[in-house]
Amino acid sequence: SGELYCSLPNPRNVRFESVNMKNVLRWSAPEGTGDGVLYKVKYSVYGVGKWIRKPECRNINRTWCDLSSETSDYEEQYYASVKAFLNGMCSNWTETTRFNPLTDTKIDPPMVSVSSTEKSISILLTAPEKWKRSPEGKSISLLQVYPGLQYNVSVLNKKTKKRWFFSISNNTLVVPWLEPETAYCVSAQIHVTTPLLHSGFSNEQCIATLKDQTTK
Amino acid sequence: LTAGNKIFHLGPCRVSLSITEIRAGFNAIKASIQARDPIKTLSILSHPYSLHKVKASDRCCIALHLFDFYVDKVFKHCKAEDSYLNRKISSIANSFLSARRKLEQCHQQNQCPCGQESDEKLEQVLVNYEGLNVTSAAIKSLGELDILLDWM
Repeated sequence: SGELYCSLPNPRNVRFESVNMKNVLRWSAPEGTGDGVLYKVKYSVYGVGKWIRKPECRNINRTWCDLSSETSDYEEQYYASVKAFLNGMCSNWTETTRFNPLTDTKIDPPMVSVSSTEKSISILLTAPEKWKRSPEGKSISLLQVYPGLQYNVSVLNKKTKKRWFFSISNNTLVVPWLEPETAYCVSAQIHVTTPLLHSGFSNEQCIATLKDQTTK
Repeated sequence: LTAGNKIFHLGPCRVSLSITEIRAGFNAIKASIQARDPIKTLSILSHPYSLHKVKASDRCCIALHLFDFYVDKVFKHCKAEDSYLNRKISSIANSFLSARRKLEQCHQQNQCPCGQESDEKLEQVLVNYEGLNVTSAAIKSLGELDILLDWM
């Protein structure tokens, strides 16, 4: 392909970093090179015979390239590759390992909303959305991508420090028989059994149960 | 249903598979096995036909024949020099063996019909497989196990 003889060291640690299927190609600059290195990027669908250049990531000096759009079909798997240029020299193309968006993405914690009565708290969980091309684009919940998605919910009684764990499939939970006028803190995590995936726990949402009206 | 098992509904048939164990086993060998497959322009399972475009009525037949394919043509040709890899591969193979046995019982009760479309897809899998030498084809197929699991 008329490529120059390439003696520049290769880009290092070329890999996909994916969160909620926002799939970003990242790499580190070639060893021993300072500023001024430029890069170009290409990608391919596994099993299909051609590499496709990414024009928006041609002659860039940053060390990442958003390939979310190009890798949005999570029924396919992908490779990507990066080449470096400096002072008329070039590196070899350096590839990622095979990227499977379905199993190789990280999932954010769910959104947690809580409300309370005198002796119970109600918890509403919302799974994150899959990355989409534009804010106006159609929203796809990760629940649709992972039908086996479940929530692990932790409820802490701030007074007694007693903690409960629940594992639920639907996105609402009512915790009954609680103490009035007591603060409870809720945190939740997403867990997918196949493929094996789980998010971190969300930040704690705390709420107090109401004053017991019957004890006036 | 032991922990980590999941019941898969494949048309009229139901098969219990230790999916958590299989997934964990595959994740442990994925990087090493896929690194031994340099051919990026050919897929055994996903091109030109995608498993994801299979009709519901064909799921059972395709699953059964793919279990056969992995047991008869893939696992036995995937001897690695690394005992760790071999242990993981044989653990996955054993899970597939038991799942195949259950699916075959259902098939024998004529509940796993094979239509023309599924025959074409399965034929293509074999064409893709036979387009490579046995070891390369087996390693590539093993490296595509997640494609099968994702589809199921």
